[in-house]
Amino acid sequence: MRAGFVIRKVLGAFSTLAFVVVFNFFLFRVVNPNPVDSMFRGRNLTREQLDEITRKFNLDGSKWDQFVGYVQQLARGDLGLSFKGNRPVSTVIGEALWPTVLLVGTSTVLSMIGITIGYRAGWRRGSRFDTASTSFSMITYSMPEFWVGMVFLGFFSAKLGWFPVGGLEDPGSNASGFAKYLDQLHHMVLPATVLAIAYIGEYMIVARSSMIETLREDYLQLARAKGMRDEEVRRRHAVPNARLPVVSLSAINFGFIFSGAIAVEAIFSWPGIGQATYLAIRGPDLPMLQGLFLLISATVIVANLIADLLYGKLDPRVLGR
Amino acid sequence: MTRKLWVGLLAAGAIGAMAAGMVGNVQAGSDDTVTLTVGLTQDIDSPNVTVGYTVAAYEFWNLQYATLTDKAAADFAIIPGLAESWEGSDDGLTYTYTLREGLKWSDGEPLTADDVVFTVNTSRDQGWFNHSSVTANLTATAIDERTVEITSAVPDPKLPTMDVYILPEHIWAGPAADDITTYDALEGVGSGPFTLQEWKPGQEWIVEANPNYWQGEPAIDQIVFRLYTEGGAMVAALENGELDAANDIPAELFEGLASDDIVTVAGAQGGFTELAMNGMAGGLGDGHPALQDLDVRHAVAMAIDRDALFERVALGIGLPLTVLGVSPLQEWLPEIPEDQQLNYDPAAANALLDAGGYLDTDGDGVREMPDGGQSLTFRYAERSEGTQGPAVRELITGWLTEVGIATEVSVFDDSQLGTAIGAGEYDLFVWGWTPFVDPDPMLSYFTCAQLTTDIESLGYNDANWCSEEYDALYEQQNQELDRDKRIEIVHEMITLFHNESTYVVLYHDADTQAYRTDRFEGWLQQPADTGPVIFTNSSPTYFNLTPIDGGGGDDGGMSTGVLIAIIAAVLVVVVGGGLLVMRSRAGREERE
Repeated sequence: MRAGFVIRKVLGAFSTLAFVVVFNFFLFRVVNPNPVDSMFRGRNLTREQLDEITRKFNLDGSKWDQFVGYVQQLARGDLGLSFKGNRPVSTVIGEALWPTVLLVGTSTVLSMIGITIGYRAGWRRGSRFDTASTSFSMITYSMPEFWVGMVFLGFFSAKLGWFPVGGLEDPGSNASGFAKYLDQLHHMVLPATVLAIAYIGEYMIVARSSMIETLREDYLQLARAKGMRDEEVRRRHAVPNARLPVVSLSAINFGFIFSGAIAVEAIFSWPGIGQATYLAIRGPDLPMLQGLFLLISATVIVANLIADLLYGKLDPRVLGR
Repeated sequence: MTRKLWVGLLAAGAIGAMAAGMVGNVQAGSDDTVTLTVGLTQDIDSPNVTVGYTVAAYEFWNLQYATLTDKAAADFAIIPGLAESWEGSDDGLTYTYTLREGLKWSDGEPLTADDVVFTVNTSRDQGWFNHSSVTANLTATAIDERTVEITSAVPDPKLPTMDVYILPEHIWAGPAADDITTYDALEGVGSGPFTLQEWKPGQEWIVEANPNYWQGEPAIDQIVFRLYTEGGAMVAALENGELDAANDIPAELFEGLASDDIVTVAGAQGGFTELAMNGMAGGLGDGHPALQDLDVRHAVAMAIDRDALFERVALGIGLPLTVLGVSPLQEWLPEIPEDQQLNYDPAAANALLDAGGYLDTDGDGVREMPDGGQSLTFRYAERSEGTQGPAVRELITGWLTEVGIATEVSVFDDSQLGTAIGAGEYDLFVWGWTPFVDPDPMLSYFTCAQLTTDIESLGYNDANWCSEEYDALYEQQNQELDRDKRIEIVHEMITLFHNESTYVVLYHDADTQAYRTDRFEGWLQQPADTGPVIFTNSSPTYFNLTPIDGGGGDDGGMSTGVLIAIIAAVLVVVVGGGLLVMRSRAGREERE
């Protein structure tokens, strides 16, 4: 891979990130010029106490001063204090990270079975398998996650009682080791399934259409003419060429592993990044929102960068562009 | 083929692990700890009492910290707490409290007058967030280990009530010397019935029984407060027995929830929703000139069918009251005389506007000012938070049209709305308040001193209304030490405020709660009959609860054997079927 290509891509990623930092800061301040007064409405605080809180959260002074303060803070790796409870934003995000990676990661991996299905469906376009799997994917893809979540919750938890209603662990659980792992798995079955159902269609559709595109290529004809078996033509010649769009989709989806799944996490009270985002919006908790947006943007940018670099590896033609 | 086999095995493994998870879960939870599980939709923001402010945090502090004087469950009457008795000086400025004998913190350290002195004086000096509204003018002095003298710099009708959380000096002196707001407060040392065992932010917090509680050890070993992001999920958990009680149930699920095992409680705490009109009484802003005319405000009040709002928007949950809610205790609220109630009467409202010269001179259906200029088109600020905004707006703007008043609706989030109100850039808005037990704070919000005259420092007076008569009464009640006389003054203030109609109180809200009756008994409403059972002012329910013998160990789930059978069947079908399909397809492909 050419060094110039890599450097160009890395620089591009950094400038996007810098833009996000600036944009983030001003976005939330335009939306919400002074949250302290509204947060503490009806709290019987004196003006001095409210001013003190404003100072503490770095909300006094001009917007420019606030911005400089924010950038300096970021440079130190400090995301500031959450309005709620004065805890460092990085700590709160850190606590939410593992549950989200566990949940969204598992369902992303599970849903990748959609790629295989998509390749097969595209390869035998118009077959019964294709029709069935495409209809299935279109249906699951168009069903809103929160709706599927509510239905699953209502049926499997509330009605049948097979799975707990929500959360990461049983109430008051002090289990450790293997028991803790099992408990978490039990709680994860429903949300992970809902998410996987939602993602599977996306993979399937993208994989299928990129496979269909390669079907027209002459080299497949040539491979068949050489007498290769159909299965081998698909695996050795069609799939590698159909892989590019799927790689970028997977990369972006892996980026979203850190951003969580707001709707599903909210429904299943899953203590991850999605739930933290939901709660921060309800606050509104500006430092938390800023921190979360930064994390989400950064992971998506990094995932995209990786996809770009992988592209170069998978398809040398990209390097020349 | 081998790769497919691997995939199959992996899938089987994953499903097996999940299945094992299910079984493991069913078998867990068979020890004899008595645990109460409560569902809520809001987390503690901080266990540090000088930092936190969510309702959930108050519930936690009510459990962990006892107060010098306690509040009766039935009516908030002052009753002994950590102090077994107290005596007032003749001038009413000084009270001497005698602590109970042998008081201990949950960690075994003695609880003495020094802890009280530390809490009162340090909170005053450092302006602690949740203490200073009580302690701002107080000075505490330890006479001996069990005697503490508290002196107020000004006459204070709240005394001898001392409902501030007393903190253990041996834990908090260090953080207080430094920056107290950075202390994590996870040590779980207190003097209340339960103390913090663990806090898992975003998930749950657990408190355990305090063996040293002055009323004795609670009958419950631990309480788990479980966080749900979605109210519907919480209700499902209550129904299938995962929860024993739940707070903040979505109104639309509340009505059908009561059953043989579940009791629902609509607990009123004085909170209310109001339509405010910009009175332009000296604060910032550009409110509509018509609203400075009392007759127009009365016409608006009479154009609104508050009974219909209560039934259709609040779904009949709460109390159909139309006076300012200043306390959860109904005794502070006056009866408005029949002829002053401003009940729904569009004909009278129209007549009032006609008489005032507000006529529709250009025939567009909207009245104009008496000089024929500006039309009676009011800016209506709707709150985006909460669920009732759109329904309330739709009804109110419709009723206003019937009396020839037009509206322009804008939607704001709370902070934008707070700023818009402070700047006085509104004519009408709908929002609400929840009062403290003592009526003083709520009453203070409508004094002239609370008008916003500088947008950088918002006052509480969001009706932009003020009156010398009201302010004089406010000062009077603030220093009246005779309770009955004070109640009379407060009644007079609320009636005055009602008749001025810058606030049209639409209805009093209620906390929607429910609890199961199959595992615990002894649920207490505070105040009696009208209040909630949990998340009340001092939350006496928890200590009062006792487990019902042999009650509800079974959570209604299915037996382990059945589960294993189902899982095994699913495994066989999924893995076996998958492999079969792959095999046959591979065969077909080779034939192609």
